[in-house]
Amino acid sequence: MKRFATIVTLAALVLLAVFLLYPLALVLDASFRIDGTGGLTLGNYAAIVKSRYYLGSIGNSLFCAALATAFACAIGIPLAFCLARIDIPGRALLLTLASLPLVLPSFVSAYALVLLFGHAGVVTTTLRGIGIPIGSIYGVPGIVIVFTLTLYPYVVMPVLAGFQAVDASMEEAARNLGGSRPYVIRTVLLPIVMPAILAGGLLVFIEALENFGVPAVLAEDRPFLAVDIFKLFAGESDANPAAAGALSVLLIACTAIALLVQRHYLGKRRFSTNARSAPAKLPLTPGLRLTATIVSWGIVIASLLPFTAVLMISLLRFRGPVLTWEFGLGNYATLLSGSYRPLLNTLTLASIAAVATMLIGAPIGYVVARHRSRLSGLLDFVGMVPFAVSGTILAIGLIIAFNSGPLILTGGWLILVIAYVVRKLPFAIRSSSAIVHQLDPSLEEASINLGVTPSKTFATLTVPLMASGLVGGLVLVWITAASELSATIVLYASGWVTTTVVMYHAIEGTGAGLAAAAAAVLILVTAIPLLLINRRINKQESTVI
Amino acid sequence: MTAIRIENLTRTFGAVRAVDDISLDIRHGELFTLLGPSGCGKTTLLRMIAGFVDVESGSICFDGRRIDALPAHRRDTGMVFQNYAIFPNHTVAENVAYGLRARKVPAAEIASRVDKALERVRLAGYGPRSPHQLSGGQLQRVAIARALVIEPAVLLFDEPLSNLDAQLRTEMRIEVRQLQQALGLTAIYVTHDQEEALAISDRIAVLRRGKIEQVDTPERIYRMPQTAFVAEFLGSTNMVPGIAGAFDGRNTPVAAAGTEFTVRGEVAAPGAPVLLSVRPEALRLRDGSGGSLVHARLALREFLGPVQRLHATLPDGTQIRISALGGQALDLLPGAPLSLAYDPAQITAYPAP
Ligand SMILES: Nc1ncnc2c1ncn2[C@@H]1O[C@H](COP(=O)(O)OP(=O)(O)OP(=O)(O)O)[C@@H](O)[C@H]1O
Ligand SMILES: [Mg+2]
Repeated sequence: MKRFATIVTLAALVLLAVFLLYPLALVLDASFRIDGTGGLTLGNYAAIVKSRYYLGSIGNSLFCAALATAFACAIGIPLAFCLARIDIPGRALLLTLASLPLVLPSFVSAYALVLLFGHAGVVTTTLRGIGIPIGSIYGVPGIVIVFTLTLYPYVVMPVLAGFQAVDASMEEAARNLGGSRPYVIRTVLLPIVMPAILAGGLLVFIEALENFGVPAVLAEDRPFLAVDIFKLFAGESDANPAAAGALSVLLIACTAIALLVQRHYLGKRRFSTNARSAPAKLPLTPGLRLTATIVSWGIVIASLLPFTAVLMISLLRFRGPVLTWEFGLGNYATLLSGSYRPLLNTLTLASIAAVATMLIGAPIGYVVARHRSRLSGLLDFVGMVPFAVSGTILAIGLIIAFNSGPLILTGGWLILVIAYVVRKLPFAIRSSSAIVHQLDPSLEEASINLGVTPSKTFATLTVPLMASGLVGGLVLVWITAASELSATIVLYASGWVTTTVVMYHAIEGTGAGLAAAAAAVLILVTAIPLLLINRRINKQESTVI
Repeated sequence: MTAIRIENLTRTFGAVRAVDDISLDIRHGELFTLLGPSGCGKTTLLRMIAGFVDVESGSICFDGRRIDALPAHRRDTGMVFQNYAIFPNHTVAENVAYGLRARKVPAAEIASRVDKALERVRLAGYGPRSPHQLSGGQLQRVAIARALVIEPAVLLFDEPLSNLDAQLRTEMRIEVRQLQQALGLTAIYVTHDQEEALAISDRIAVLRRGKIEQVDTPERIYRMPQTAFVAEFLGSTNMVPGIAGAFDGRNTPVAAAGTEFTVRGEVAAPGAPVLLSVRPEALRLRDGSGGSLVHARLALREFLGPVQRLHATLPDGTQIRISALGGQALDLLPGAPLSLAYDPAQITAYPAP
């Protein structure tokens, strides 16, 4: 038993050291080097501090992330409350739909905004046609809107769990002692869900700060941290890997601090999870109930509208960047006329990555959940590091690490798979350890007691018992790998262009129709597996967050 | 049939000495119970024998062969878990066959042995069922069949009946006992239910804070508890502190609770503080005739059907409990004086802690 755990732990630590910590160390190292000569310097940081552009970049990123967090909380908390305590028609469906934005690619939502409200957007041109001018959505407004609409489920899920974890008797006790309903909400309910709000909010902050795709689509020329790191590293004209390294270190520092605080509040949430009976739905007047229903459904529909818009627009004909009202499959024809390769690549890479992630993540999750030791504690910690590292930065580290030397991986498919696996590993670990926590440990002991070795028990008893949960995790990893952009855009090589890369280049260029078709394909690729197993997904997500 | 010898077994968790220098000899075919309050180390000791908790120091031998270094899956013990631990993804028959498969028993033999084991636990025909179609008591029988069928060197039970309701518990404990005797297996049984321990054990070890207080047959454990802890743990005895008087060659008077008790034998030097254990059934309601007597006042009467329990107050206000038969007519009201007769041999004195 012990030996099995030790072997898994050591193997996982080695893997993470080679493909996560070593590349990150190289990024850190690059940030202290003089570009070209390789001497040690603090110059890269000094240059950032002196540069108005880079300070603006940091400022914009932090500002957008903070604003998105505030807005996500502003819509997420009421929505969670309504879902928990008000009898809303279609609640189960609403819950499923509310979790969708987390796994749908956010840059597609950003692109939808461009298609609708951009320079040549449908709504913009229509309104302009009838003489109503509308403001630009590029830059901060658009980015904040997209982050809010795609990330608010991070607030909803834990806060909903928090509201549901408040034992009915606790609230009844407070009421019985003479508290009015608002007083009880303020003194009993809010303190209990506060850690959940903070944990969810900080997750929004981290994701918004790291996100590459949304500012890449909506920032135009405004400086944004994630985009600038990419340009500094991979830009054709103004490449400066050392500066990219320094910005990366700053970004990681921000996300790491946020993550540590987030974990802290997540830990505090435990005190509220032993509710015996969920509190009753609030008795509301029909008017209030109707309002709650409209608001809840409104939020969720608004967050999904961009995706449906993209699906519809992809079926319309473009003349250059200008949309016409004629139906046609021309966009898809363009997308597939070049080659099926990108789509095939997307499907293949996502499949390999998903299987590999779960194969590696499940034993780690098992060991972390079952065999508490100092070593597995370390593994648990290192396994969470990818949360704090944006895809772009990880990809940069992987390139620096495996561009030369004994192990050359750049230019092939393996480096893409490695990046996906490392990025999705925390999720796989979390979800499988959550599943293991629900398994009675005496089942495994009974098997061992009856004469089956621990490793065989894991393979023939534990894994089958975890299977249904693991399938959910597998599909979620598959979806997010298929729509991965930030690491892919740095790492892809000519033979391994994916659908996300096609879409990115189409947006950068003038292929609006092509981009819309690629975006639609991405939505379908992610949404179909989700709908197939949506009930499992719901559970998974809430356990992982 | 296996004899188990445990020598100087110790296990600590941080500052807690869960099992503290325990030595035990368990005989062939014996049902040996580990009894004690929550947290006294029963489960830890049992799991050390099963191989799920590492031995820190000391040794465990089955028939003279040391097994404490063997991995759990090679110890040949059959464990019955508190929460049954029936594999939900296997049928009842597959559950029972699990250990036989691990031992590479031929398929034909497995089938017949599984059928026989299910018959033994009165579940013939339940083989193809899935575990979620069974009740708690049936699941526990499957767990027992699964442990029996491999004919293990030792059967281990960790509070196997504590998840069942009271009625089923009393039925099942008899079944467990009969199966164990019929198969002649050595068994170690963990419980904190003293009645269960007394009812089915050959011998009982009473544990306290990781140490053994007393190992004896149920009768001797109950009648002759060697420590105040054992006396108090077995049967809700009345513990009354007092001061020993002068030994008269047969009995010792003990001044306690504002009155005097007579205790058989020389219990302590005169003037020494002692703790008396007065079992509720050692006191009988009397109307003035013979034996040693103590006077009390009725405080409360609990009528429990076959028996009734009287709560009485001794002269200094100490509360004691007295058992009486349910049929015994009583028209006493609270406050009424009671004369309680007892046999001095039935009162035990311990040195005061
Ligand atoms: N894995 C562990 N880690 C730390 N302490 C433990 C562990 N297992 C047991 N202990 C401690 O050892 C002591 C004995 O525990 P054990 O489970 O053996 O008690 P028990 O007699 O079975 O009690 P119960 O009747 O409640 O089941 C307790 O104080 C317990 O807290
Ligand atoms: Mg126990």
